[in-house]
Amino acid sequence: MDSSRRKIIARLALIAFAVLCAIWLVRLDYARKISTNVLDLIPPAEQSPEINLVRSFANNVQSRVMLFALQDAHSPATPPKAAAEMFVAELARSPEFAEAVLIGDTTAQNKFGREIFERRFELLLPGWLGERQREFARTGRPSREFAAWLAERAATDLESFLSRPEAAAMQELITMDPLLLVPQLAEHARIVNAPESAAGGNALVWARIKPSPLAEAGQQPVFSAIESALANVRAVHPGVALRWTGINRFAAASRARIESEIRLLNVFSIAAVLAVSAIFVRRIYQILHLTPVILLSIAGAWTISTVVFDRLHILVFVIGSLLSGVAIDYGVYIYMQPALRPDEPYGEKLRRLLKPLLASCLTTVIGFSLLLFSDLPLIREIGLFVSAGLLCALGTAMLYFAQLEHPFLEARQFVAQGARRDHAALRWFSRGLLALAAAIVLIGPWHLRWRDDVRELDIPAPELHANEAALRALFGENTDRSVYLTYGATVAEARQHLEEFLAHQARVAPNVQNSSLGLLLPTENDWRELPARLAALGDFAGDFRDALGRHGFSAASFEPFFNAWRRVRTEPPSGNYEALAASLNAMLTGPLSLLSNPHDPAWFLTISEQPEGARPPAGLHTVSVSQLQSLNELFARYRWSALRLSLIGLALVIVSVFAIYPFRRGLRIALIPAGSCFFVFGVFGLTGQTLNLFNLLGAFLGVCLSHNYAIFSSETAGPGGAPPVSIRLSALCTASSFGVLAFSHIPVIHALGLTVALIVLTALTSVELESIARKIPRR
Amino acid sequence: MFRPPQNFLLAGFLFVTVVASASPAAGAGAGRDIVLPDTVIPDPAHDVGWKNLFEQIGAPKTRISDFEERRFFPFRSAPILLQGEIRMVPDRGLSLSYFGAKPYIVIVDRAGVLMRDEHGRQRAAPADGRAQAATSALFHILQFDLPALLREFVIHGQRTAANWTLGFVPRDPTLAQAIGSVIVHGEQAHLDRIDMIKSDTQRIEILIRNTRDDVIFQPDVLERFFR
Repeated sequence: MDSSRRKIIARLALIAFAVLCAIWLVRLDYARKISTNVLDLIPPAEQSPEINLVRSFANNVQSRVMLFALQDAHSPATPPKAAAEMFVAELARSPEFAEAVLIGDTTAQNKFGREIFERRFELLLPGWLGERQREFARTGRPSREFAAWLAERAATDLESFLSRPEAAAMQELITMDPLLLVPQLAEHARIVNAPESAAGGNALVWARIKPSPLAEAGQQPVFSAIESALANVRAVHPGVALRWTGINRFAAASRARIESEIRLLNVFSIAAVLAVSAIFVRRIYQILHLTPVILLSIAGAWTISTVVFDRLHILVFVIGSLLSGVAIDYGVYIYMQPALRPDEPYGEKLRRLLKPLLASCLTTVIGFSLLLFSDLPLIREIGLFVSAGLLCALGTAMLYFAQLEHPFLEARQFVAQGARRDHAALRWFSRGLLALAAAIVLIGPWHLRWRDDVRELDIPAPELHANEAALRALFGENTDRSVYLTYGATVAEARQHLEEFLAHQARVAPNVQNSSLGLLLPTENDWRELPARLAALGDFAGDFRDALGRHGFSAASFEPFFNAWRRVRTEPPSGNYEALAASLNAMLTGPLSLLSNPHDPAWFLTISEQPEGARPPAGLHTVSVSQLQSLNELFARYRWSALRLSLIGLALVIVSVFAIYPFRRGLRIALIPAGSCFFVFGVFGLTGQTLNLFNLLGAFLGVCLSHNYAIFSSETAGPGGAPPVSIRLSALCTASSFGVLAFSHIPVIHALGLTVALIVLTALTSVELESIARKIPRR
Repeated sequence: MFRPPQNFLLAGFLFVTVVASASPAAGAGAGRDIVLPDTVIPDPAHDVGWKNLFEQIGAPKTRISDFEERRFFPFRSAPILLQGEIRMVPDRGLSLSYFGAKPYIVIVDRAGVLMRDEHGRQRAAPADGRAQAATSALFHILQFDLPALLREFVIHGQRTAANWTLGFVPRDPTLAQAIGSVIVHGEQAHLDRIDMIKSDTQRIEILIRNTRDDVIFQPDVLERFFR
């Protein structure tokens, strides 16, 4: 095949590849394909139902809530109720909002309360009667005595209740409810401080948006609706100021921050790469020939990843951006290698370079391909993204430079290059440095400290966090409480688990109040048993009248109750338990609607008046809503998975190297990247740095880069000889561009940038020192 | 970022006190001999017969007293008897500490009413407007905050030598239905008794004894008995 025909074929292949990638990427629905939600890092087939539950709760329920506080500058001590009512009406009219509620507006609460009172025999009597029957069973007395025992017990409880502070306020209810079904519900479901008591001069509004706050539809359109509502309110109440918070504010700020920071870092990275190139390359504009290689490798990685995976997390692309650092190596190596003779064809030059290129690329691909076996989606996605990108980079580089007439990037010739590298003092100094490095490698990593914190993924937004904390304080929230979700496949199962969880809480912390909306619903067993239990209480009314008399009550005052009791015994509540739960759930509106879910999976929320303590035992089917902890553990799993697979990958890379190269060269190629990585971790350990998953992923990439330098330098450098300029250029470009990333305020990017830059610099230094430290054989 | 809706939990349950406090008062007027047209004190701050007394009992002082509370219920022949201590600290409000098998504390201050049990567990009275009005009224009466009292109540008074009786009748009919009338008895600058009367059979009598003024409460006492 002649040269011009080969060029045409290479060009057509490149164009075809570029067009295919472009068509696919242009048509891609990025909003659907790429997730920015931290919770999407959790494997969809995650075996732990707790994490799934938390994810479902946070995604579908909690994250859509927005909190607002209105204050009137003309009267800061008085909540501007009228303005708040108008604001609520404006929000409720907006298509972006599902509902908006003015906190302190008791209309809905009172309606709910009346309904509960009217349905007390249906909702509360089954549990009350079941509990009393179990208590009676523990006495060991014959069942025929139950009615009398129950009557005496109820009268005693009633007398005791009259000493309680709320008794005077409830006296009109007591004649209708001497069993204290409703007062006991209030007692067991108490609340510490009503939001209004903490609100000062603020009127508080709770609202729920329709779209996801993590999607664009849940951000700007919602913000516009709020601005519009506020403008209308201010037209009538000009002094009103609004504070508000919601997940969408954080998400929008995160995105803006990432965009602005990535833009800035890219500019500095490019400037750093150009500065380094200007030092090493004679005609710097020629370096632009590397741009298509990098762009096509990244386009290839994006295309293949998005074809293979239904949905990818944005972190894949952030971490995958490091691919450019690896992808550039093959182009630099091909481009900077001079022809052996002036008429050496490109094909011949390529064949000469093929072994180190393939050794470098394929061993790295093998390493990253191992990540495909991870059970964690992010790791799998990164494995495919980088592997595909590396293959695309190598293929593109080989095809692209076939287009050029003279594919050679000429380096500057430094006077000092290679000079005096065989000086004995220099050799011993290098050996000393390498020995010191070896000591750090052996000692330092033992001092490493790891901390997996999901907040590393948060973009720092101190003002928004302070605003959120202030608003939540106005709403009366505090950190002295812990919140739990008790779940089950059905509502009946979830309610039974709640019963067991509350019993467990009562045992381990008897003085701690636990409140749950689930207490409004009887367990399925108590519900089913109610008709039979009522039927067995034929003597109860008479016994209760007597007991009331014995305790100083006028039994005649309780006729409303006895009439209702007769009715409930004649027609006891019955029917489908799920329908009962659904009817209760239908009564919940506003904030109360967040407290339970009747299906898929069913759960009840419980607030415990104590700071987060030990996790409830697994058998209780209860999970803390403190997702941070769950996700931190997940991140630890990610780190261990990445570490395990990285080590296996590294081992495979080393085995491959020994299979390709003779033992001594193989040893050198293996030691440089591994040593660089452990040296950097050693320095981190000795300087007390705390590392996370992203340092580890950065290290894996850094090792792959170093691996390239070790292979390329072993091909071209001999003892005492300087490594080729292509390696210096490539390593310093990579180190400077990732060094810039180390200055990022985004913790993930900082960790990746710092780790990669240090490992690459260490590898380059090792290559330089190793060639000096070796004794030059006498000729 | 993801936080639970802590304080909305069970807000709906508080309806019970709201329902109760909104129930109509039975037999309005019973037991209120003092509440007569000729006993009205339209302007106590400038009434020569009452000015000094209001200045004395309204003076901001820390106080502690023993009390005995009798709760009369229409469905019970004998009252429920409770005993305890009242503490008063200007700017922090009132604290009623009930003794007994299950002791508890009721704190009345500008933020509302807070109930605290022997284990330190506490709960607020409803944030509902009517309930707040009732607690606010009680707070003003026990603090003798004259401007606030005049805004919310018609004040009646009778006195014989060192003994005096004041009656507070809410101006707002809804509040009147909720709390009835409040009758306060005293001798010289001390309160002896508070009656909260909704009807002959629905009333609370609080007998106050052994009052000590200008008591210095230690920080732990303040923390235990106040918000």
